[in-house]
Amino acid sequence: MDQVGNLLDRPRRYYNIDGLGELGGGVVCLDFALFLWLLMHFPADSLWHQISFFLFVGLALLIRYGTKAVKTRITYPRTGFVEYRRQWHTSAIAAALGALGAAGLAVGFRRHWDMPMLPSLTGLAFAAAYGYHFARAVRWKWVIVGAIAVASLVIAFLPADVLRALGSDSPVAHPEGAKLGGIILLSCLVYGSMLLISGGISFWLYIRHTQVPAQEGQ
Amino acid sequence: MNQQIRTIADLDRVIHEPGRLMIVALLFAVDGADFLYLQHETGMNKGTLSSHLSRLEEAGYVAVTKTYRGKVPQTLLRLTGAGRKAFEQYRRNLKEAL
Repeated sequence: MDQVGNLLDRPRRYYNIDGLGELGGGVVCLDFALFLWLLMHFPADSLWHQISFFLFVGLALLIRYGTKAVKTRITYPRTGFVEYRRQWHTSAIAAALGALGAAGLAVGFRRHWDMPMLPSLTGLAFAAAYGYHFARAVRWKWVIVGAIAVASLVIAFLPADVLRALGSDSPVAHPEGAKLGGIILLSCLVYGSMLLISGGISFWLYIRHTQVPAQEGQ
Repeated sequence: MNQQIRTIADLDRVIHEPGRLMIVALLFAVDGADFLYLQHETGMNKGTLSSHLSRLEEAGYVAVTKTYRGKVPQTLLRLTGAGRKAFEQYRRNLKEAL
Protein backbone atom coordinates (compact mmCIF):
# COMPACT_ATOMS: atom_id res chain seq x y z
CA MET A 1 0.00 0.00 0.00
CA ASP A 2 2.94 2.35 0.68
CA GLN A 3 4.07 1.90 -2.90
CA VAL A 4 0.61 2.89 -4.14
CA GLY A 5 0.76 5.96 -1.86
CA ASN A 6 4.16 6.79 -3.32
CA LEU A 7 2.77 6.53 -6.85
CA LEU A 8 -0.12 8.81 -5.94
CA ASP A 9 2.40 11.36 -4.64
CA ARG A 10 4.62 11.30 -7.73
CA PRO A 11 2.62 13.70 -9.96
CA ARG A 12 2.78 16.37 -7.23
CA ARG A 13 6.56 15.97 -7.01
CA TYR A 14 6.78 16.04 -10.81
CA TYR A 15 5.73 19.72 -10.79
CA ASN A 16 9.18 20.64 -9.53
CA ILE A 17 11.18 18.05 -11.46
CA ASP A 18 12.77 20.89 -13.42
CA GLY A 19 13.27 23.19 -10.41
CA LEU A 20 10.85 25.76 -11.86
CA GLY A 21 8.65 25.60 -8.74
CA GLU A 22 11.60 26.74 -6.62
CA LEU A 23 12.78 29.30 -9.18
CA GLY A 24 9.25 30.78 -9.30
CA GLY A 25 9.03 30.84 -5.49
CA GLY A 26 12.46 32.49 -5.28
CA VAL A 27 11.55 35.22 -7.75
CA VAL A 28 8.25 35.85 -5.89
CA CYS A 29 10.20 36.29 -2.61
CA LEU A 30 12.61 38.74 -4.28
CA ASP A 31 9.67 40.48 -5.95
CA PHE A 32 8.04 40.94 -2.54
CA ALA A 33 11.35 42.20 -1.10
CA LEU A 34 11.53 44.78 -3.90
CA PHE A 35 7.92 45.80 -3.19
CA LEU A 36 8.71 46.29 0.52
CA TRP A 37 11.92 48.16 -0.23
CA LEU A 38 10.13 50.58 -2.57
CA LEU A 39 7.42 51.13 0.06
CA MET A 40 9.91 51.73 2.84
CA HIS A 41 12.52 53.81 1.08
CA PHE A 42 10.49 56.11 -1.15
CA PRO A 43 8.16 58.85 0.08
CA ALA A 44 4.44 58.18 -0.30
CA ASP A 45 4.04 60.79 -3.05
CA SER A 46 6.87 59.43 -5.23
CA LEU A 47 6.20 57.53 -8.44
CA TRP A 48 8.09 54.40 -7.27
CA HIS A 49 6.02 54.22 -4.11
CA GLN A 50 2.77 54.55 -6.06
CA ILE A 51 3.59 51.96 -8.71
CA SER A 52 5.20 49.48 -6.27
CA PHE A 53 2.04 47.36 -5.93
CA PHE A 54 1.45 47.23 -9.70
CA LEU A 55 5.11 46.34 -10.19
CA PHE A 56 4.74 43.51 -7.66
CA VAL A 57 1.58 42.13 -9.32
CA GLY A 58 3.06 42.57 -12.82
CA LEU A 59 6.19 40.63 -11.90
CA ALA A 60 4.11 37.93 -10.20
CA LEU A 61 2.03 37.51 -13.39
CA LEU A 62 5.20 37.45 -15.47
CA ILE A 63 6.52 34.63 -13.28
CA ARG A 64 3.25 32.68 -13.62
CA TYR A 65 3.11 32.89 -17.41
CA GLY A 66 6.90 32.64 -17.78
CA THR A 67 6.90 29.36 -15.84
CA LYS A 68 4.11 28.04 -18.06
CA ALA A 69 6.04 29.02 -21.20
CA VAL A 70 9.25 27.36 -20.03
CA LYS A 71 7.36 24.19 -19.09
CA THR A 72 5.68 24.09 -22.52
CA ARG A 73 8.97 24.53 -24.37
CA ILE A 74 11.36 22.53 -22.19
CA THR A 75 9.69 20.22 -19.66
CA TYR A 76 6.70 18.77 -21.53
CA PRO A 77 8.68 17.73 -24.64
CA ARG A 78 11.29 16.01 -22.45
CA THR A 79 9.42 14.23 -19.69
CA GLY A 80 5.76 14.71 -20.50
CA PHE A 81 2.72 16.83 -19.77
CA VAL A 82 0.52 16.63 -16.69
CA GLU A 83 -2.78 18.42 -16.16
CA TYR A 84 -3.26 18.88 -12.42
CA ARG A 85 -6.59 18.68 -10.65
CA ARG A 86 -7.89 22.01 -9.43
CA GLN A 87 -7.93 21.80 -5.66
CA TRP A 88 -9.77 24.82 -4.32
CA HIS A 89 -9.33 23.69 -0.71
CA THR A 90 -5.52 23.98 -0.98
CA SER A 91 -5.83 27.64 -2.05
CA ALA A 92 -8.43 28.25 0.68
CA ILE A 93 -6.12 26.78 3.37
CA ALA A 94 -3.16 28.84 2.08
CA ALA A 95 -5.28 32.03 2.12
CA ALA A 96 -6.55 31.26 5.64
CA LEU A 97 -3.00 30.62 6.91
CA GLY A 98 -1.81 33.85 5.25
CA ALA A 99 -4.62 35.84 6.88
CA LEU A 100 -3.89 34.20 10.23
CA GLY A 101 -0.18 35.06 9.90
CA ALA A 102 -0.95 38.68 9.00
CA ALA A 103 -3.37 38.97 11.93
CA GLY A 104 -0.78 37.47 14.30
CA LEU A 105 1.82 39.94 13.00
CA ALA A 106 -0.54 42.87 13.55
CA VAL A 107 -1.40 41.75 17.09
CA GLY A 108 2.26 41.08 17.88
CA PHE A 109 3.25 44.52 16.61
CA ARG A 110 0.55 46.27 18.64
CA ARG A 111 1.51 44.44 21.82
CA HIS A 112 5.28 44.94 21.25
CA TRP A 113 6.10 41.26 21.19
CA ASP A 114 9.70 40.19 21.00
CA MET A 115 10.38 40.58 17.26
CA PRO A 116 13.59 38.50 17.05
CA MET A 117 11.37 35.47 17.61
CA LEU A 118 9.57 36.20 14.35
CA PRO A 119 12.30 35.36 11.79
CA SER A 120 13.35 32.27 13.74
CA LEU A 121 9.82 30.90 13.82
CA THR A 122 8.89 31.78 10.22
CA GLY A 123 12.31 30.64 9.04
CA LEU A 124 11.99 27.28 10.77
CA ALA A 125 8.44 26.88 9.42
CA PHE A 126 9.72 27.78 5.95
CA ALA A 127 12.60 25.30 6.27
CA ALA A 128 10.16 22.57 7.38
CA ALA A 129 7.80 23.33 4.47
CA TYR A 130 10.72 23.30 2.02
CA GLY A 131 11.95 20.02 3.46
CA TYR A 132 8.50 18.45 3.16
CA HIS A 133 7.82 19.63 -0.39
CA PHE A 134 11.23 19.53 -2.05
CA ALA A 135 13.96 17.88 0.02
CA ARG A 136 12.07 14.64 0.73
CA ALA A 137 12.53 13.53 -2.87
CA VAL A 138 16.02 14.95 -3.51
CA ARG A 139 18.60 14.33 -0.82
CA TRP A 140 21.06 17.19 -1.55
CA LYS A 141 18.27 19.69 -0.88
CA TRP A 142 18.54 19.00 2.85
CA VAL A 143 21.60 21.27 2.68
CA ILE A 144 19.25 24.09 1.63
CA VAL A 145 16.90 23.22 4.53
CA GLY A 146 19.84 23.55 6.94
CA ALA A 147 20.98 26.80 5.30
CA ILE A 148 17.47 28.33 5.60
CA ALA A 149 17.25 27.34 9.28
CA VAL A 150 20.71 28.76 10.05
CA ALA A 151 20.00 31.97 8.09
CA SER A 152 16.77 32.45 10.09
CA LEU A 153 18.67 32.19 13.35
CA VAL A 154 21.34 34.62 12.09
CA ILE A 155 18.63 37.16 11.13
CA ALA A 156 17.04 36.73 14.55
CA PHE A 157 20.30 37.60 16.30
CA LEU A 158 21.34 40.48 14.06
CA PRO A 159 21.73 43.77 15.97
CA ALA A 160 18.52 45.81 16.06
CA ASP A 161 20.34 48.82 14.51
CA VAL A 162 21.12 46.86 11.35
CA LEU A 163 17.50 45.74 11.00
CA ARG A 164 16.21 49.26 11.68
CA ALA A 165 18.62 50.65 9.07
CA LEU A 166 17.17 48.26 6.47
CA GLY A 167 13.66 49.46 7.27
CA SER A 168 14.63 53.11 7.72
CA ASP A 169 12.57 55.91 6.15
CA SER A 170 9.65 53.61 6.67
CA PRO A 171 6.21 55.22 6.59
CA VAL A 172 5.76 53.43 9.92
CA ALA A 173 7.54 55.92 12.14
CA HIS A 174 7.69 53.56 15.13
CA PRO A 175 11.23 52.13 15.53
CA GLU A 176 9.78 48.64 16.07
CA GLY A 177 7.96 49.04 12.75
CA ALA A 178 11.24 49.84 10.99
CA LYS A 179 12.85 46.83 12.67
CA LEU A 180 10.00 44.55 11.64
CA GLY A 181 10.21 45.91 8.08
CA GLY A 182 13.95 45.18 8.09
CA ILE A 183 13.38 41.62 9.35
CA ILE A 184 10.77 40.83 6.67
CA LEU A 185 12.85 42.44 3.91
CA LEU A 186 16.01 40.54 4.86
CA SER A 187 14.11 37.25 5.29
CA CYS A 188 12.54 37.58 1.82
CA LEU A 189 15.95 38.35 0.31
CA VAL A 190 17.59 35.36 1.99
CA TYR A 191 14.80 32.83 1.29
CA GLY A 192 14.39 34.11 -2.29
CA SER A 193 18.12 33.76 -2.95
CA MET A 194 18.20 30.24 -1.53
CA LEU A 195 15.23 29.14 -3.60
CA LEU A 196 16.86 30.63 -6.70
CA ILE A 197 20.09 28.75 -6.01
CA SER A 198 18.41 25.39 -5.39
CA GLY A 199 15.96 25.89 -8.29
CA GLY A 200 18.83 26.88 -10.60
CA ILE A 201 20.82 23.76 -9.68
CA SER A 202 17.71 21.56 -10.16
CA PHE A 203 17.02 23.13 -13.56
CA TRP A 204 20.62 22.64 -14.67
CA LEU A 205 20.59 19.00 -13.53
CA TYR A 206 17.25 18.42 -15.26
CA ILE A 207 18.50 19.82 -18.58
CA ARG A 208 21.70 17.79 -18.24
CA HIS A 209 19.99 14.46 -17.52
CA THR A 210 17.01 14.60 -19.88
CA GLN A 211 16.62 14.99 -23.59
CA VAL A 212 13.75 15.35 -26.03
CA PRO A 213 12.87 11.86 -27.34
CA ALA A 214 12.87 11.17 -31.08
CA GLN A 215 9.59 12.46 -32.53
CA GLU A 216 8.02 9.39 -34.04
CA GLY A 217 4.63 10.00 -32.50
CA GLN A 218 3.25 8.54 -29.33
CA MET B 1 -14.07 -19.43 1.78
CA ASN B 2 -13.48 -17.04 4.62
CA GLN B 3 -14.05 -13.29 4.27
CA GLN B 4 -10.36 -12.35 3.78
CA ILE B 5 -9.80 -14.83 0.98
CA ARG B 6 -13.05 -13.72 -0.67
CA THR B 7 -11.79 -10.10 -0.58
CA ILE B 8 -8.58 -11.13 -2.33
CA ALA B 9 -10.60 -13.00 -4.95
CA ASP B 10 -12.70 -9.87 -5.48
CA LEU B 11 -9.70 -7.71 -6.38
CA ASP B 12 -10.13 -6.11 -9.81
CA ARG B 13 -7.77 -8.10 -12.03
CA VAL B 14 -7.55 -5.37 -14.66
CA ILE B 15 -6.05 -3.00 -12.05
CA HIS B 16 -4.21 -5.63 -10.02
CA GLU B 17 -1.55 -6.23 -12.68
CA PRO B 18 1.52 -4.20 -11.48
CA GLY B 19 2.02 -2.26 -14.74
CA ARG B 20 -1.62 -1.23 -14.94
CA LEU B 21 -1.72 -0.45 -11.22
CA MET B 22 1.13 2.04 -11.76
CA ILE B 23 -0.72 3.68 -14.65
CA VAL B 24 -4.05 3.93 -12.82
CA ALA B 25 -2.44 5.25 -9.60
CA LEU B 26 -0.53 7.93 -11.53
CA LEU B 27 -3.63 8.99 -13.46
CA PHE B 28 -5.78 8.95 -10.32
CA ALA B 29 -3.74 11.80 -8.80
CA VAL B 30 -4.14 14.12 -11.81
CA ASP B 31 -6.76 15.34 -14.25
CA GLY B 32 -4.84 13.94 -17.19
CA ALA B 33 -1.36 13.22 -18.49
CA ASP B 34 0.28 12.39 -21.79
CA PHE B 35 1.87 9.15 -22.95
CA LEU B 36 5.39 10.53 -22.53
CA TYR B 37 4.78 11.33 -18.86
CA LEU B 38 3.52 7.81 -18.13
CA GLN B 39 6.47 6.35 -20.00
CA HIS B 40 8.87 8.51 -18.00
CA GLU B 41 7.30 7.68 -14.63
CA THR B 42 6.71 3.96 -15.15
CA GLY B 43 9.89 3.21 -17.09
CA MET B 44 7.95 0.99 -19.53
CA ASN B 45 8.72 0.87 -23.22
CA LYS B 46 6.17 2.16 -25.75
CA GLY B 47 4.86 -1.27 -26.70
CA THR B 48 4.23 -2.45 -23.15
CA LEU B 49 2.65 0.84 -22.12
CA SER B 50 0.41 0.85 -25.21
CA SER B 51 -0.78 -2.68 -24.52
CA HIS B 52 -1.63 -1.87 -20.88
CA LEU B 53 -3.44 1.30 -21.96
CA SER B 54 -5.46 -0.66 -24.54
CA ARG B 55 -6.53 -3.09 -21.82
CA LEU B 56 -7.56 -0.24 -19.51
CA GLU B 57 -9.39 1.50 -22.35
CA GLU B 58 -11.28 -1.73 -23.15
CA ALA B 59 -12.34 -1.96 -19.51
CA GLY B 60 -13.62 1.63 -19.72
CA TYR B 61 -11.16 2.85 -17.08
CA VAL B 62 -9.07 5.15 -19.26
CA ALA B 63 -10.10 7.66 -21.93
CA VAL B 64 -7.58 8.25 -24.71
CA THR B 65 -7.53 11.47 -26.75
CA LYS B 66 -5.23 11.90 -29.73
CA THR B 67 -4.19 15.50 -30.29
CA TYR B 68 -1.23 17.62 -31.42
CA ARG B 69 1.21 19.77 -29.50
CA GLY B 70 2.35 22.07 -32.28
CA LYS B 71 3.23 19.59 -35.02
CA VAL B 72 4.01 16.73 -32.65
CA PRO B 73 1.31 14.11 -32.04
CA GLN B 74 0.30 13.83 -28.41
CA THR B 75 -1.75 11.15 -26.67
CA LEU B 76 -3.66 12.47 -23.67
CA LEU B 77 -4.92 10.01 -21.08
CA ARG B 78 -7.52 10.45 -18.37
CA LEU B 79 -9.07 8.15 -15.83
CA THR B 80 -12.83 7.89 -16.44
CA GLY B 81 -15.42 8.02 -13.65
CA ALA B 82 -15.62 4.23 -13.75
CA GLY B 83 -11.83 4.05 -13.55
CA ARG B 84 -11.72 6.30 -10.47
CA LYS B 85 -14.43 4.27 -8.74
CA ALA B 86 -12.70 1.00 -9.62
CA PHE B 87 -9.38 2.22 -8.24
CA GLU B 88 -10.98 3.44 -4.99
CA GLN B 89 -12.73 0.08 -4.61
CA TYR B 90 -9.48 -1.75 -5.39
CA ARG B 91 -7.63 0.18 -2.64
CA ARG B 92 -10.41 -0.57 -0.14
CA ASN B 93 -10.37 -4.26 -0.99
CA LEU B 94 -6.58 -4.42 -0.81
CA LYS B 95 -6.59 -2.75 2.63
CA GLU B 96 -9.18 -5.24 3.88
CA ALA B 97 -7.26 -8.17 2.46
CA LEU B 98 -4.01 -7.05 4.11
